[in-house]
Amino acid sequence: MDIFDEVKDSKQKFQEELSELPIDEKAIEDFRIKYLGKKGIIKHYFNQFGKVPNDRKKEFGKLMNSFKQEVTQAVESLEQKLNEKQKKQEFFDYTLPGTRPVEGSIHPLSKTMDDILNIFKDIGFSTELGPEVETDYYNFQALNFPENHPARDTQDTFFVEDDVVLRTHTSPIQVRTMEKQKPPIRILAPGRTFRNEAIDASHYCTFHQIEGLYIDKDVTFSELKTTLYLFVKKYFGEEIDLRFRPSFFPFTEPSAEVDISCFKCGGNGEQCSLCKGSGWLEILGCGMVDPNVLSASDIDPEKYTGYAFGMGIERIAMLKYGIDDIRLLYGSDKRFLKQFKQL
Amino acid sequence: MIINSKWLKDYTDFQYTPDELGERLTYLGLEADQIANPVKKLNKIVIGLVKGVEDHPDADRLKVCQVFDGNQDRQIICGAPNVQDNIKVPLALPGCELPEGKISEVKLRGLKSEGMIPAEDELGISDDHSGIIILPKDAEVGIDFVQYYEDRFGTSYDIDLTPNRPDCTSHIGVARDITLLTESELNLPEVSFQETGPDINNYTTINIHNPDGCPRYAARIIHNVKIKESPQWLQDRLKSIGLRPINNIVDAANFVLMETGQPLHTFDYDRLKGQEINVRMSEDGEEVVTLDGQKREMDDNILLICDAEEPVAIAGIMGLENSEITDSTTNILLESAYFNPASIRYGSKYLGLQTDASYRFERGIDPENVIYALNRVTELILEIAGGKVCQNLIDNYPKMIVAPEVKVRFERINKIIGEKFDPEWVTKKFKKLGCKILDQSKESITLKSPSWRPDLEREIDYIEEVIRIYGMEKVKSAPKISIQPDYLRNQRYDFNQKVRNKLAAYGYQEVFNNSLFSIEETEYNLFDLEPIKIKNPLSRELAYMRTNLLAGLIDTAANNINRNNKNLRFFEIGYVNDLNFEKDNKADEYQYFSMLLSGNLEPVSWKYNNRRTADIYDLKGDASSLVNYFTEIEPEYAKSNLDTDKYANIIEVILEDDLLGFLCQVKEELLDDKYNIEEQSLFVFEGSLEILYKYFDSETNYTPVSNYPAIERDISILVDTDKLVGSIIEIIENNGGDNLQEVQFYDLYQGKNIEEGKKSLTFNLIFQNPDRTLKDNEIDQQINLIFKNLKKQVNAKLR
Ligand SMILES: [Zn+2]
Repeated sequence: MDIFDEVKDSKQKFQEELSELPIDEKAIEDFRIKYLGKKGIIKHYFNQFGKVPNDRKKEFGKLMNSFKQEVTQAVESLEQKLNEKQKKQEFFDYTLPGTRPVEGSIHPLSKTMDDILNIFKDIGFSTELGPEVETDYYNFQALNFPENHPARDTQDTFFVEDDVVLRTHTSPIQVRTMEKQKPPIRILAPGRTFRNEAIDASHYCTFHQIEGLYIDKDVTFSELKTTLYLFVKKYFGEEIDLRFRPSFFPFTEPSAEVDISCFKCGGNGEQCSLCKGSGWLEILGCGMVDPNVLSASDIDPEKYTGYAFGMGIERIAMLKYGIDDIRLLYGSDKRFLKQFKQL
Repeated sequence: MIINSKWLKDYTDFQYTPDELGERLTYLGLEADQIANPVKKLNKIVIGLVKGVEDHPDADRLKVCQVFDGNQDRQIICGAPNVQDNIKVPLALPGCELPEGKISEVKLRGLKSEGMIPAEDELGISDDHSGIIILPKDAEVGIDFVQYYEDRFGTSYDIDLTPNRPDCTSHIGVARDITLLTESELNLPEVSFQETGPDINNYTTINIHNPDGCPRYAARIIHNVKIKESPQWLQDRLKSIGLRPINNIVDAANFVLMETGQPLHTFDYDRLKGQEINVRMSEDGEEVVTLDGQKREMDDNILLICDAEEPVAIAGIMGLENSEITDSTTNILLESAYFNPASIRYGSKYLGLQTDASYRFERGIDPENVIYALNRVTELILEIAGGKVCQNLIDNYPKMIVAPEVKVRFERINKIIGEKFDPEWVTKKFKKLGCKILDQSKESITLKSPSWRPDLEREIDYIEEVIRIYGMEKVKSAPKISIQPDYLRNQRYDFNQKVRNKLAAYGYQEVFNNSLFSIEETEYNLFDLEPIKIKNPLSRELAYMRTNLLAGLIDTAANNINRNNKNLRFFEIGYVNDLNFEKDNKADEYQYFSMLLSGNLEPVSWKYNNRRTADIYDLKGDASSLVNYFTEIEPEYAKSNLDTDKYANIIEVILEDDLLGFLCQVKEELLDDKYNIEEQSLFVFEGSLEILYKYFDSETNYTPVSNYPAIERDISILVDTDKLVGSIIEIIENNGGDNLQEVQFYDLYQGKNIEEGKKSLTFNLIFQNPDRTLKDNEIDQQINLIFKNLKKQVNAKLR
């Protein structure tokens, strides 16, 4: 093999190496030294110039110059590529904030209602609605509130006409449902209710309730207890205890109020601002549907029994989220609202 | 109502600690809140004996007292007017921490004081600062005062009594309920006294003109009583339940009221005119002055107690000034009566006057307790005020109150509660309740209710007693509950949830606003509704049921903007009401969904300098997208002719045959004038959720996606500025042929290089065929057709 072939061969190898060379500072520098360094391949061949026959010296010179130019250009181009690559890497700031969408939110009262409805949906309760402007009949009489009875004092009422009121509870939905549907009846009735009470940190003239009703053969107080245990443990947590104590509502008998153990102090009550030291938080009223209420809707109380329960959504939401002023829930600040989402 | 543990023990024995008693009462349905003992947290206070009082040599008002603390004498400098020799007092020793500060040895005007004799306010007992506390003579010197105080006053409870339990408006009543839990008996105080005066019938007669209102009225007369301060024990009793002692006669009546639950009234006999008492209904417009000095006008339905000439008391509610006892009273007439609960409640409501008496009468007192209570108060007055009671009492009982007879089936108890009860146990408890057993079999028991339990009228009332006495907490939870398929799912309610979640996904925040608003806020209406007025509103601002959601939404937005929350997307879903009582006495109720958009659309970002500011087209886009998402219909829009000073640029949103709602901008002047908002615009939408639901399409229709290439063409035209883009799109769509898939309007230009009165519009058209590749010339043909029609219909020029 003469020197011409050697150079051509070397050029070939150079091309091969070049095509596989990574854009990396050290690799490029090694590559440059290998070809263009003082002891590099180009120098090596130039040093052999003397050995070339005179008649081909010109030809060899041309060949070597073009080889050198090729290598120099390749190395320059490599260095430029390297430079660009390094530049790019320097400016990639992975910490720059991403562009986010504007997030909406679901009102804490909607969320609370939905969460409660979903628990009862799982055990076959459907949802029923009723009007906000109600008749005295549905709001009181059919629910066994006699006229001129102290029981009416427990519900400060807004009147539209003598016999038309803003409903004081969602219980009228019970009656409306019993009128149009025969047992078994298994409903939840959510909705907005009204009480004529001055607005302060714990009272608002508009508020919300959810009422549950189950009427069938052989419905017992014992089953009511099981249902409410299920609800409380699912909604407030497994560790929460509850207690039933006798109370009075005109439309149920026996009637009970249900307290849950305070989740702030764990029920021991000491110095607790939430339960005011009692260890218990009142969350709902319940009872067995009064036979008078069943009869008023043409359901035979000898054949059917039932239970009902009702709770204030504002109270539950305030307890659950630690909101200490009911007014925060109405006409709210967006920074307050932002914190609630439907999960 | 307040109940005291020490007082209860007069009538039955129990061994509960204060906490246990509160809990037991609560589990009996008498929700009891223990009233904190005011001195409980104090220490270093002992009972001292004042052994000598001398004037302070250098101060007029101060006294130098020697007080024995049980171990030693201490010198105490005291400024109270009532300090005197040989009295027993609480003595706060150095180191004692009182609410006002710590007691230490001090020098007062040169003499040392080794402690302090406190007034009631200084211990936090009351706000009385008139003098130091003087203890009864039997107080033991040297013992701890806090212990002494607890022993003397017991523990008190505030009972939140439900309306069905009139029997527990007294200590005897509560004691009777406690015996249901214990083995102890109820011990009623025995009453005995000598009738040493003349026959009462020589002094008065009782005429009941309205036996329905007053089924029973009894009276006694006592001569020569001496009005004075009550004895210590009586004062202590009243104080223990938060009552202030007044004089021996008033205190005796209050004591018996709180003991037996029977309200009693005392008249100054000598101030009654004519020797008769008349019970009658008031006359319309009749006026009286009650004990509290208030003049009160009545209608014709209020029960009055009158003498021969005029009213002397409003029956069961309050006495009148004209017959009130005074310090000079010597002869008294005592009233003990049973008034009709509904009648007293009506009067109390009408007059806006609730008293300890009316509270009990309207719940229904024990009609068979009337005489016992009358005799009990007589005995007490004779004991503490002297005098002679007339022979005989008057007991006018024209309308016998008969306790109901109720049959209770044992099986029914088990059926309601869900647990098996032993008939023997049940019978025993019914007896303890005070029921008479009229008949009994294996299956059932027939009972006569005790006279103090008017609430026990039906079988279910007795079943409630069973669970109450047994204990609700002991009833076992059922091992399983019956679940039935959710075959009645409420699609309509679920739809609300879907809309809510979709709006939240668009970045809108849900708000709740009050349903009550003012008449002025009806002017924010876009739909035509008539507001419902509240007869007894809380205020002028809350006197109507809302007829729109926008007034509240704009108000909420304004409050946010004024708190520097400027970029807003709000929505509310709620009911509005329309006055219409013609149909079955019901108002028309509609559910609306409303949206509000204002401020910047995007959050701050380093990627762009200019954030887009919301305008009506952004809100229109959100609303159209929502409607389209739920109905698969592209709504139509029309310019509204509504003339209002609240909104500008009102657009009607129409879904086929129905008006869905309105899109508009809140007028700038309104924002500026009413809400103080400048430099920010508000855009609102109000729509009917019922209409949206009417067109709700929950079916998903799938069509395959074409695999053949889509061809895009742009069209740019010049038209007069008053041409509607919407109608131009329509022309393009109508002439684009079957292959035209989409028309997007993407450039609007007016100004430089464009002729005056013209605008340049650019549309992007996408053509595609599901089955083949389209040829250029077919599309050219179609574009030509579109141009031809644009030229013809809107005089468009090609650009
Ligand atoms: Zn707590």
